[in-house]
Amino acid sequence: MKTDNPLSQRIRDAINHVDFNRFRFWFQVAAFILFVYGGYVAIDLGSRLPTFSCGYNQEGRAGVCYLLPLQHQLGRPWASLFSAAGISVLTGFLVFGLWFIVFNKAWCGFICPLGTVQDWISALRRRMGIRFSRYSQGQFRQLTKVKYVLLALMILIPLGIGGGFFPSSISPPFCLICPARMILPMFTGDFSQFFIDFSTKTAMVMTTLGMSVTGLFLVGSFVKKRFFCFFCPMSALHYLLSPLALFRLQKVGGKCTRCGDCYSVCDMDIKEIADDIETTNIMTDDCTMCLKCTACCPEPGALKATFLGVTIFEATEQGFIKRMNKGCRNEK
Amino acid sequence: MICFAGIDVGSTAIKVAVVDEDGCIAGVHVTASGSLFHRNSTEALNTLLARLHLQRSDVRYMIATGYGRKLFKDADDSVSEITANAIGAFESGRALGGVRTIINIGGQDSKAIHIDDNGNVVNFVMNDKCAAGTGRFLDVAARNLELDLEELGDYHFKGDTPPLNINSTCTVFAESEIIGLLANGHGKPEIIAGIHYSIASRTVRLAKRIGIENRVYFDGGPALNRGLVAALQDELGRELVIPEHPQTTTAFGAAILARGEFLAEQGLGKQ
Amino acid sequence: MKNEDSLVVPIQPIPYSRSRQAGESQTVLDHIVDDFQDNPEAMKYFYDLFRGVYCHGDAVSHSGKLVGTTCIQAPEELIYAFGATPMRLCNGSYLYDQKGSDFMPAKSCAMVKATLGMLSSETVVPRIGRPDMIVNPTTCDQKKKSSAMIASLGYNVLDLEYPNVKGSEASRVYWQRAVRDFAVKLRELTGNKLSRKSLKDALARTSRAQVAFRRLHNFRRKSPSLILGKDAFLVTNAYFFDDIDRWTRAVERLNEELEQRDKAGFKAVQGKAPRVVFTGSPPIFPNLKLPLLIEESGGVVVADESCSANRMLYDMTAVDEWRLNDMLDSLADKYLKPCTCPIFNKNDDRRRRLLDLIETFNADGVVYQVFAGCQVYEMEYRSVAEELNKAGIPLLYIETDYSPDDKGQLSTRIEAFLESIKNRKRRQA
Repeated sequence: MKTDNPLSQRIRDAINHVDFNRFRFWFQVAAFILFVYGGYVAIDLGSRLPTFSCGYNQEGRAGVCYLLPLQHQLGRPWASLFSAAGISVLTGFLVFGLWFIVFNKAWCGFICPLGTVQDWISALRRRMGIRFSRYSQGQFRQLTKVKYVLLALMILIPLGIGGGFFPSSISPPFCLICPARMILPMFTGDFSQFFIDFSTKTAMVMTTLGMSVTGLFLVGSFVKKRFFCFFCPMSALHYLLSPLALFRLQKVGGKCTRCGDCYSVCDMDIKEIADDIETTNIMTDDCTMCLKCTACCPEPGALKATFLGVTIFEATEQGFIKRMNKGCRNEK
Repeated sequence: MICFAGIDVGSTAIKVAVVDEDGCIAGVHVTASGSLFHRNSTEALNTLLARLHLQRSDVRYMIATGYGRKLFKDADDSVSEITANAIGAFESGRALGGVRTIINIGGQDSKAIHIDDNGNVVNFVMNDKCAAGTGRFLDVAARNLELDLEELGDYHFKGDTPPLNINSTCTVFAESEIIGLLANGHGKPEIIAGIHYSIASRTVRLAKRIGIENRVYFDGGPALNRGLVAALQDELGRELVIPEHPQTTTAFGAAILARGEFLAEQGLGKQ
Repeated sequence: MKNEDSLVVPIQPIPYSRSRQAGESQTVLDHIVDDFQDNPEAMKYFYDLFRGVYCHGDAVSHSGKLVGTTCIQAPEELIYAFGATPMRLCNGSYLYDQKGSDFMPAKSCAMVKATLGMLSSETVVPRIGRPDMIVNPTTCDQKKKSSAMIASLGYNVLDLEYPNVKGSEASRVYWQRAVRDFAVKLRELTGNKLSRKSLKDALARTSRAQVAFRRLHNFRRKSPSLILGKDAFLVTNAYFFDDIDRWTRAVERLNEELEQRDKAGFKAVQGKAPRVVFTGSPPIFPNLKLPLLIEESGGVVVADESCSANRMLYDMTAVDEWRLNDMLDSLADKYLKPCTCPIFNKNDDRRRRLLDLIETFNADGVVYQVFAGCQVYEMEYRSVAEELNKAGIPLLYIETDYSPDDKGQLSTRIEAFLESIKNRKRRQA
């Protein structure tokens, strides 16, 4: 932590002592505006984005969530999929990977519009003075596997469609049940996704399921912080690529007092962040890299976010004191 | 003639050692402490110097050690007896292939010191709360058996039956036990051997707490007692190194240290 | 001899300031102040405080109900939030220790004995007044069993249920519930209600004290040291009974002076003075025997891992949502999860903290104090010694109690230890 350049130390301090919650709030707002309304100013970041920039938000979207084109690609007839044209699946995945590794799962914590919506719902709950609920460790252990199941289904069902086992009305299977499909277009005044498609039985089931999931989503995020992220197949997909990521969450076990502050504030109830003192790369599959843990850690250097090995944001005593005392002084 | 002195102001005896400028021992002297530490210490030093035909001004540096080290203001510095003992044992043990474990049984305490290859103290353990296992026990025994302290060693080897078990853990209670054994007709050799083994086993138990290396250096007044040495060797199961003047190893170490300090200061002065 | 010649000597009360108790405190305080040079100016507040309270028997004031605590694991923020005043009762006086031995077995913790002795005495020093409630967390065995004895002395005792395992979810929930129960009892005692604002303010007050302590703690990293350990212990010992806001201001003044010292390149000890981390049974005034011996012999205590200093003030509370429930749970977590008291089944957190302190404070060795009879500390010694041995750090184990008669023996050991450290450093240089 010693620097020879006082200017770089000042910059470092400015970053480490930032009013973290406020910074994150505004960052999320900016990202939300970009991905939900960017289309209006002809911003197009492609259709391999590692975040829920929903494709169903036809007018406003600044790019498309990768899951939508992925499901369509995988749903192609097998003859086409397993031919030379199938290369496009791999190149698509490659572009997705390149987008992803820059921010790692911070796409979830700082950028994802659906995540931001959940955080706003949580803020509403806080204003109303209602407590959040937590999973017990037993529940956590079981529920954390759901996202892998959803990811598997999201890949297998389109393949099944391509092979003729499932009707095409079930495509894209995940998007049909994804709450983002209904919620994000709302922000551009488009409520057309709130419907039940009676045309076929499959469509009826899927769209009803979609409405229920959205309902569950709204209630769930009200009661539990980042409810949906726990089950998100995008999160599972992220985690498979995370060993290659450039942005990392690191822990120095020797400095950890196991005070559990990080676990207390973690939206995802991840206990390893507090208890594991051996692992350096402490990001787990549920982590959204919101960095709340780093912001509330009182032990200097115990937790830090690094990019290509360079520490960007780390736990500091002064930062902790500023942030925790701020809560003491202001009504929030 | 330049020389250096180390003075070990113990609770029972005052020991003085003088080394020459090369660090070789010039002479040692042992006398009883009495109650006037300072006077008796000065007298002891003067006696030794006179014997060696040296003046007080020849002593360029003096270090005091032992319980009374802070009281002897004449010294240039003081150092704990553990450090002094370690240095003394290391220096004298060097010629014999080096020692790593030192066992010291003093008048009122006993200690075990573990040193490294350079003579620095790595770990140590002391018993200074209880007189059992110290020279005091030998004093008590000698008095009860109506013998001189110096005779105990020879008596140890006179018996042909196994040493008796002395069961009391406390020196004061052991007195009664010894008297009882005598009254029951047991011979002095067996009793004395039993006392030696009692001290030895207690000492070994103490030393085990810091680990015992292969060759053990045994010093302190009681090391003059051949019988105790034999008992200790038996209990330890290791080779024992006994210096020529075991009582003065600590004082010798202090003198070596005094020489070292003086030379170091001189070296600094030159710069 | 006729009967009329015998004399009945009436009982004459001795003023506290002439009592043996006062004498004991006076001796130690005089030693702390007079036998060391260059004490910081700002320490005068603390010297005067101890002289007044311990030597003259001045009364210590408090506001609201007085809640005595026998362990730092009792959440004092909660006590403040109800408008009461917490006061730590753990005692360091040899005379009270002797009194307390009426209650307890021969070989038992001197600190618990002294606390019992104090509570059973007519004159209680510090003169805090009779506690309206005494909170006794069920941490160590001896403290736990002494609860019934304290109650039999006529005090209103609350057993605060503290878990012996801190890693499991069950223990966390158990402790959070215990803290809530404590809040209920406090409400009954004080008649006040716990509000979000009152708890937030209490957290802010303690937080300010902790921030001041942390700054002092960080100043002690400097080599050569800016302040001696004996003063740091006195500062944290004052926290037991002093008014928290006044204490905080005094520490902030001390910090400012240390800042000046730092800029001026001031040295409180020689450059080669061995830097020692002190761990184990807590030194409580006037029993600052061991830290004082270390510093008299030329060492300096740069940091400690004991509950009368570092552990009491170091860990800070982090809250996510500033609602009453969340604050309570965060508060409970702070008192359980980072705690390195040896009463837990595992001690890897304590070992890690020791290693971290040694590295951060550039320490040369560790002195491990154990009060005779404290089995948990005695048992932990083995694993701590293994860990420090692996890391190549010298460790001195000292078993002692409150009696002043072993100073000679202890000083031999401490001097030998410090000498071996100096030799080591000289060799490495």
